[in-house]
Amino acid sequence: MKKQISILVLMISFYGFSQNATNTYTKRVLENTEVDLISSFYGQDGDNAAVTGGIGTEKLTDIASTITVSIPLNANDIFTIDATISAYSSASSSNLNPFDASGASRGGDDDDEEDDNKSAKKNVAGRVNGSPWVESSGASKGDVWVNGDIGYSHSSENRNSIIGANVSFAKEFDYTSIGLGGNFTKLFNEKNTEIGLKANIYMDSWQPAYPTEIISYKEVNNNLNDGFFEGVDILDQKGSIINKTGNTVWSPFNTSLVENKSRNTYSASLSFSQILSKKAQISIFLDIVQQNGWLANPMQRVYFGDRANYYIGNASSISNYTSSKNTDVFQLADDIERLPDTRFKIPVGARLNQYINENIAIRTYYRYYTDDWGMKSHTASIELPIKFSLGKFTLYPNYRFYNQTASDYFAPFESHLSSSDYYTSDYDLSKFNSHQYGLGFKYTDIFAKLKVFKFGLKSFDLRYSYYDRSDGLQASIVSAGIKFVMD
Amino acid sequence: MIKKTLLVLVILGSFNSCVVVKEYEKVYLNDPDMVLADKKINKFETSFQVYREAASGANGGKSGGGCGCN
Repeated sequence: MKKQISILVLMISFYGFSQNATNTYTKRVLENTEVDLISSFYGQDGDNAAVTGGIGTEKLTDIASTITVSIPLNANDIFTIDATISAYSSASSSNLNPFDASGASRGGDDDDEEDDNKSAKKNVAGRVNGSPWVESSGASKGDVWVNGDIGYSHSSENRNSIIGANVSFAKEFDYTSIGLGGNFTKLFNEKNTEIGLKANIYMDSWQPAYPTEIISYKEVNNNLNDGFFEGVDILDQKGSIINKTGNTVWSPFNTSLVENKSRNTYSASLSFSQILSKKAQISIFLDIVQQNGWLANPMQRVYFGDRANYYIGNASSISNYTSSKNTDVFQLADDIERLPDTRFKIPVGARLNQYINENIAIRTYYRYYTDDWGMKSHTASIELPIKFSLGKFTLYPNYRFYNQTASDYFAPFESHLSSSDYYTSDYDLSKFNSHQYGLGFKYTDIFAKLKVFKFGLKSFDLRYSYYDRSDGLQASIVSAGIKFVMD
Repeated sequence: MIKKTLLVLVILGSFNSCVVVKEYEKVYLNDPDMVLADKKINKFETSFQVYREAASGANGGKSGGGCGCN
């Protein structure tokens, strides 16, 4: 018995000794609370709006802001809160109901889509018009997207492993998303090598909005003399008013709308990073993404080449329909876009960063992407941080090239056949390449001397990029960011 | 495919032969401009690219979901 007690005391004393021996200073993962504020203004224009079947104005502006607060809970744990709000105004989305801008529905618009649909029947015959080239005034012309993300990460005492989790929520008028994620990172080889694993699930759902003529047709049980269509003339390709009770009248090709409103995304990511020298490091990323559910956008129209065309508006403008000169005639949709209910994506990417000298570094990135919708793409970018005044100021000239092949389901306006199972005229799924040119500026104060209340300004970023796509879409974005550190 | 996998493995294996860089030698590598991830200031730029292009992911950030985009 005495022997057993002696062994126990001895073991406890070893434990106590080992505790003292490892009681060395460990740097906190995050010293102080940090706050990042980023705002951006984005504008684009083009001639291939998906809402109007692959032709029409793509004019869009978006103002977005985000705040990220990172709080050290103790030496090893960080809690992060991120909130984003984005408000956009889109000419193409406005044309979900292109007839809003017409005479009768203009006055007293209360921005209620349902009322907007019904209001067309108040119009005098022949006065109802719209155009894919003109922004409408309905509820869908703008929206606000909000997003919240909460994350937690824990680093081991020796800082060789990090484990984390996050939950997110996003909402816009026709879409809701709930996300869950987890990640694990292991560092070894004296922190020269790093392997990371990440998994995310997004459980999203549509609150679908449809093109006015299609949802209205369903609402009035196919009666073209009721509801939205009452008192509204429908024209054929020659501009003649059709007999709405006759045999050859307009009707949507498929009146079944979104059946499964969910869209789930499952992604797994593997990353490998390696220090190559005192001035160079590389990382390789592999993602595997599976999506299930309603993967098409119910707002987007499709026009078939093998079905007769029907219009509402000014008959004399039909011959100019695909030209931006058309301001007062709109072609009734054959269907909404239809896409498979599964998609499997594999992107593989790599970053290589090299410090050239005290003043210049090179940041490079390449990605290859493939999916089972027949799309393949290459992305390559380079950025050249140039430091001035001992790193207080940095300039970031940058260039990005991107190309992609077309999806198996893409065809332009009036080029699809109604015999196809799947079809879209969304040019974001077409074949194109793009060039993006940018310049950034950064001011850094490592001592955060400039104070705002209890926060010191650590850095200020400003960045401008111009995006030019081979199908004519052009965009610009300005972003500004400020980083504060709490005293 | 097998050739590509072998090539990747050879490249990865060759990294192991690199000289180990000690913590006190990482002054350049610890520069914020050397971070092997997208910068925070690019957040909205990356978002619009995700909306306007089919490809996404493999950049250390989100790889899909959370929006009505492609």
